[in-house]
Amino acid sequence: MQHIASRVLDRELKKGSAELLVLSLVEDQPRHGYDLSKLIESRSDGVLTFRVASLYPLLYRLEKRGWIQGRWIEKAGQRRRRYYRLTAAGAQVLASQRNTWKEFVEAINRIAGVEHA
Amino acid sequence: MPEWPRRLSEEIRQHLDDEYDALRARGLSHDDAMRRLAGDLDELASMRARRIDAAALDLRYAARTLRKNLGFTLVVMLTLALGIGATTAVFTVVDGVLLRPYAYPDMNRIVTLMETTRRGQIISVAWPNFEDWRAQNEVFEHLGIYRGMVMNLTGGEQPERIVGSLASSEVFKALGLDAIVGRAFTPQEDDPSVPRVAVLSERLWRSHFGGDPAAIGRAITLNDEPYTIVGVMPDGMRFPTRTTDVWLPLGLFVRTFPPDRGAHPGLLAVAKLKPGVSVERASADMDAIARRLEQQNPISNTDHTVLLTPYADEIVQNIRPALVTLACAVAFVLLIVCANLANLMLARADGRHRELAIREALGASRWRIVQQLLTEAVLIAIGGGALGALLAWWAVAMFVASRPTSIPRIDRIAVDGRVLVFTAIVSIATGVAFGLAPALRASSIDLLTSLRDAARGSPGGGRRLRALLVVGEIALALVLLVGAGLTIRSFAALAALDLGFDPARVVTMRVSAPNARYPDPARWIAFHREILARVSGIPGVEAAGLNSATPLEGGGSESEVRYEGQPPPRSVSEEATACLFQATTPEYFRAMGIVFVRGRAFTPHDDAAAAPVAIVEEALARKFFAAADPIGKRIAFEFTGGHSAAARPVWREVVGVVRHVRHYGLVREPDNLEVYVPLEQLPIWFRDRRPTMTLFVRTPLEPQQLAASIRRAVSTVDPQIPVFSVLTMNEYVGQATEQPRLNMALLGAFGALALALASVGIYGVLSYLVGRRTQEIGIRLALGATRADVLRLIVGHGMALAAAGIAIGLFGAWAIARLLGALLYGVSPHDPATFAAIAALVAAVAFAASYLPGRRAARVDPMLALRAE
Repeated sequence: MQHIASRVLDRELKKGSAELLVLSLVEDQPRHGYDLSKLIESRSDGVLTFRVASLYPLLYRLEKRGWIQGRWIEKAGQRRRRYYRLTAAGAQVLASQRNTWKEFVEAINRIAGVEHA
Repeated sequence: MPEWPRRLSEEIRQHLDDEYDALRARGLSHDDAMRRLAGDLDELASMRARRIDAAALDLRYAARTLRKNLGFTLVVMLTLALGIGATTAVFTVVDGVLLRPYAYPDMNRIVTLMETTRRGQIISVAWPNFEDWRAQNEVFEHLGIYRGMVMNLTGGEQPERIVGSLASSEVFKALGLDAIVGRAFTPQEDDPSVPRVAVLSERLWRSHFGGDPAAIGRAITLNDEPYTIVGVMPDGMRFPTRTTDVWLPLGLFVRTFPPDRGAHPGLLAVAKLKPGVSVERASADMDAIARRLEQQNPISNTDHTVLLTPYADEIVQNIRPALVTLACAVAFVLLIVCANLANLMLARADGRHRELAIREALGASRWRIVQQLLTEAVLIAIGGGALGALLAWWAVAMFVASRPTSIPRIDRIAVDGRVLVFTAIVSIATGVAFGLAPALRASSIDLLTSLRDAARGSPGGGRRLRALLVVGEIALALVLLVGAGLTIRSFAALAALDLGFDPARVVTMRVSAPNARYPDPARWIAFHREILARVSGIPGVEAAGLNSATPLEGGGSESEVRYEGQPPPRSVSEEATACLFQATTPEYFRAMGIVFVRGRAFTPHDDAAAAPVAIVEEALARKFFAAADPIGKRIAFEFTGGHSAAARPVWREVVGVVRHVRHYGLVREPDNLEVYVPLEQLPIWFRDRRPTMTLFVRTPLEPQQLAASIRRAVSTVDPQIPVFSVLTMNEYVGQATEQPRLNMALLGAFGALALALASVGIYGVLSYLVGRRTQEIGIRLALGATRADVLRLIVGHGMALAAAGIAIGLFGAWAIARLLGALLYGVSPHDPATFAAIAALVAAVAFAASYLPGRRAARVDPMLALRAE
């Protein structure tokens, strides 16, 4: 039971944070999808991973909403890759999502932390 | 977005490749690397399945598109509902009457047998002939004989009239049905020594005995005599008619069948062919027997043979041509609906080029677009089909409720699962039929042209297809209208027929006083006189008479008639003059409004004590007496001494000549000449039958109002005698014209619908054309063409389409009109006037449909049209 409960929590957390993660990672520089998935995995020390089947549709959705913009870039000796960069609209969304997330995490900590103390 | 964009697939493929490379770089084997990727691949696969489930997606998309164009969708669905509804309704009737299996096992081996002359006159079977058929034939497994009879059922609160039949045991074997309770007749019951037993129908058993198995062994009173119930036949047993409620054993009646081959006491035969024996072979076998009998009995059997009819054919033979015609007509209507909708869809697909081009640019394959458009068409067709099924359900319910008498197996006609499956198939097929052409065309448009051209509409390549569809519609509509026109002319000819009587305000009912209750002929006659006396005294009765036959109802007793001084037959095969023999009371002629050409009606003085008299119809007077005055001449239909050469006629004097009265329905009127004899002066052979008499009452009141008082009057004379078949003469006329009226109404409605659809087709094509050619028209006008020129151009185009359609349609109608022959009366299936009138009608409608777009074209402002470019 406990195992299932934690898996559900994990999934929901990931869903809620996925947009934030992607937007954050393309903030400083354009990145392609594979790059994004590796970064999420390595920076979270393997706690967070994204399946292909959810990552790319997510990118597609974000692009459709105008929060990121993709461009095919061909480099010598490599096949073309689609690089995504944050748009102005995306920057606004990112700022507000960061804020929300911060408040959320602090609130959770206040409650969960107090109980444990 | 219905498609997963190509670039997404590309990215995902790259990602998987990268991951694979990375895994291999870390030293994993190919298999291990693939195993690691398996999770992703599975998830992708299931997601793809979910997201790209094309059908579901197309459906959603189609539903959205159709909702967005609600007006268009509704028009199309209503058109479809009419087409599919009509098709379903006609199918329901065809299925119930022609296709549904019968309750009898081996129906295709059951045949009915009648005697017939080689000239085609059908007569009932002489008992000695039947005995020879039974003994000599080698083709039947079972050969039974029967005769219909109506009987008075008494013992309940009210005397009732029920339809029964005497039947030999083999009748039940030939039909192959077993009793559900008790038993059917045994061969012993074909013997004259049989006790009085009866087999009931399930219906009578349930209504009168509550379906109680203990009814077996109980008594039932028929024609005043008790019969012991021995069995109950299942509901599927509807032989010889669907209203038959009781069967009595043949044995009880064998003694009443004359042992004379010249006597035909109303018997008919039914048989089951041996397995593997065809109807043709059986016919040949029976013909051989008939020829032998002919040689042995030249006086009675010369020229007689046996007519075999498959029983299933006999049930439906009168209705089949009408049903086949209607089925064809409704198929035509459906085709026109398809053509019309294909046209509409084409026009709409033209308007959607841009949308489709964009989708194709986004990577949708051509096949996917075809699929998409087809899904739309089929979805709309299913909607229309559902509406049509409702329409059909309603129409069929109305039709069955109107109790048409000319439709056999009417109680099997209902919209049920079987019919709905048919409707579903027709709907889907219709959707494919009208959706496929536009879909294929729309998907084959050159992308670039289309995108460039999108603002203006479309390339004009669909024009020829659309023109062809319209020509086809006009041709089909014309064929239907010719059919409708012919049935209308035929009906008019029927309606104009001289019935020989005045059906208005005449109410009729039957009274049957059987032998068992009135063994004394004098009392039997007195009973009828008493009825007449009482009925005549009812206020509002203008005239009341009795007759042993009912006009338009199909028959009566036939007899041979001779005139005094007629030379003896030159050979045995010379046909005697047959007449329809009627027992009549004096006021009958006045009650029915039958016109006297010469002489007088019967009077109360023409009784048993007076000299025998007769009234004849004109044609008989002409045939026997040519130009001479028939009054005072003598005729005979009673002979002492049977059929021997020594037979002596009983002469009676002709006192009156009347017009011919239609007795056998409107269309089929055999040339039986009609004679009337006073009820008090009947020949013994006729009086001994105690024929059921029909009472005819002329009244200025609403005929049905009188019925109750007349019933009361009869029951005061004898409460045990039932009064039945209360109908006005106008109702008989209605029944006789029911089928032609139905044919006319349905074909007329289908024709009108077809014409309306075809005119919409012409209008649509021309409107589209005008829209496409606005610029060209502007240029023409700018270059000096007059508005009349423009009008002529457009109307000319429409009329060219119409002319092609009319020509093809006339040709088609000419070719298939012959099939209508069986439904027509008094008009040739190739009636030139009908063909010409219909062609003119179609041309006129086509002109009107062309004129509107033509006028719009003529009003084009050249400056505006040119500036629009």
